Amino acid sequence: MLQIEIDHLNKHYGGFHALKDVNISIKQGSFVALVGPSGCGKSTLLRTLAGLEKTSSGDVRIAGRSVIGKPPRERDVAMVFQSYALYPHMDVEHNMNYSMRLKRRPKEEISERTRTAAETLGLGNLLDRLPKALSGGQRQRVAMGRAIVRNPKVFLFDEPLSNLDAALRVHMRSEIRKLHERLNATSVYVTHDQVEAMTMADHVVVMRAGVVEQQGSPLDLYDRPANRFVAGFIGSPAMNFLPATATENGALVLDNDSTQIGLNRHIAAGCKFWIGMRPEHLSLKPCVNDMAIDATVTGIESTGSMTFVVLEVASQPVVLAHSGRPETRRGDQVRLHISLDNLHLFDRETELAA
Amino acid sequence: MQGIIRTIRDGSGFDILLLGLALLYLIIFSAFPIIYNIIMSLQTVDMFTLTSFNRPFVGLQNYYDIFSQPVARTIFWNTVKFVVLSIVFQLSIGFGLALFFQQDFPGASYLRGLFLAGWIMPALVVGAIWKWLFAGDFGVINYVLTSLGIADDRIFWLSDPNVALYAVIIANIWLGIPFNMILLSVGLASIPRDVYEAAELDGAGAFERFRSITLPLMRAQLGAVISLGVIFTLQQFDLIAALTQGGPADSSNVAQYWSWQFSFQTYEISLGSAVSVLMIIFVIVVAAVYVRSTRHEHSY
Repeated sequence: MLQIEIDHLNKHYGGFHALKDVNISIKQGSFVALVGPSGCGKSTLLRTLAGLEKTSSGDVRIAGRSVIGKPPRERDVAMVFQSYALYPHMDVEHNMNYSMRLKRRPKEEISERTRTAAETLGLGNLLDRLPKALSGGQRQRVAMGRAIVRNPKVFLFDEPLSNLDAALRVHMRSEIRKLHERLNATSVYVTHDQVEAMTMADHVVVMRAGVVEQQGSPLDLYDRPANRFVAGFIGSPAMNFLPATATENGALVLDNDSTQIGLNRHIAAGCKFWIGMRPEHLSLKPCVNDMAIDATVTGIESTGSMTFVVLEVASQPVVLAHSGRPETRRGDQVRLHISLDNLHLFDRETELAA
Repeated sequence: MQGIIRTIRDGSGFDILLLGLALLYLIIFSAFPIIYNIIMSLQTVDMFTLTSFNRPFVGLQNYYDIFSQPVARTIFWNTVKFVVLSIVFQLSIGFGLALFFQQDFPGASYLRGLFLAGWIMPALVVGAIWKWLFAGDFGVINYVLTSLGIADDRIFWLSDPNVALYAVIIANIWLGIPFNMILLSVGLASIPRDVYEAAELDGAGAFERFRSITLPLMRAQLGAVISLGVIFTLQQFDLIAALTQGGPADSSNVAQYWSWQFSFQTYEISLGSAVSVLMIIFVIVVAAVYVRSTRHEHSY
């Protein structure tokens, strides 16, 4: 069953076209990540779902009913803000049950639901604290608690983890994911961190400049990026790109280099491409169906389990991911082996996958 | 000597120097006049003993004299009315305007800036202009009231003992609105937008957001504006001097003007001092409330 349908949605701010013909369908119970660089319109889209921004044209349906023109409180959605937006003058308990107090629910129900949500989030002993007496992580939990007690149709998250330190962020990722599964809720999650999007969501929407560039399952986007932007945005370290031109005999020649790459596909001579290679599909040792290019090692970054070798190939920087610790040093001349089965081609003019 | 210079340049001496300058300023220009004033209120001071410090000590006799004046009662109630009515209307109109200009509409910030004009003008000038507006024979206010049929006859705003005080209060309200509005605007602007958005998502309508978010978060600013408003209202002298001089027959006289009349018109300086000491005590109480209210400020 579809929970949210975004249908040809447009949003203008004066002369600025913030959302351009956005179409997204979100199933009941799914976890959707909106991801993209700053200013891509992901937060605007989320705020439009919440009812905090007006739309210019198009339709938004929640549970089958159009919510265009409806104020936030009639949409049955809860939102966790980046800044948490806790009520500074209310203690944790009152922050969490504000919505129920507004609805004048019975006292027993209010305290019961507040207690349950607080226990779920480990806030049981903090109920009488003011937000200013809480740590960043605790505030974040209160913001989530405020959303949970309402038991809404849809949860909206606006970069909720960006103010936390790295370790807590990783921990909270799985917490939010677990919570989502337990509540069987529909969640829309905005982030600029593609790792967060990949690890948490079952449907990822990549946006740039108000346009949905591609959407699909995380691995789908990783394996079959629709264009150069998505290819470069999804994956860490990012995909490498080398400029190349097709020759008469159907091979590709790297620009600034005479290396030829033979491909088992028909391409028109003279076409210019970006060759995209994931760091883990490169190797310093021969592998199946590969080809080799001369390269110079210009840097080595080791995380312990993984080593990223920065190479220079045809005057372009290329990053190689090596599990373990390769015996190579800066300045070494090496042969770079490229797995031909995992190459991506992008038209240099349209940037679309070829 | 060199040691002193060094500690002033890059040691704790610099802190002490800055502290000392501020303290010196306070002692010379605040503490000394206040204490001197208190001493004068306990002595008999007249034109002849004004220059010498060695004056007869009379204890609380001056205070007793003040309260036994027949007009004391009138002036006390006038002062209460002047302060309370001024504050209530300055605050509510100023707060209303601050909320209004907080809305996003074209020209909001320019219009808000325009309100400052009233604040920049000297109270004496404001008083002179209001005197024309209030004039019984040719005043604009009477013209408007009679042509709209609100008043049957001309009101002698400044010479009718029943309305003179209210005329002064109206002018004072007008004068105080910009201050209230600007200070409360700053307070409103400091409440994060997303707190309101969170409340909106939680289901709070406009009135509920005002009641449960704006008012409690503005507590410190409201406290500050009210306390400063009380102090400014008790300082308001120029407007009274320009409009009614406390008349007719003390019907619009208030404590601060009365104190001035004692000291500088009838030269009963010790009585003037006593009135001002009573006002100082009241202002200190208000200032204490103000300090307490700012201590409750929230962090976001």
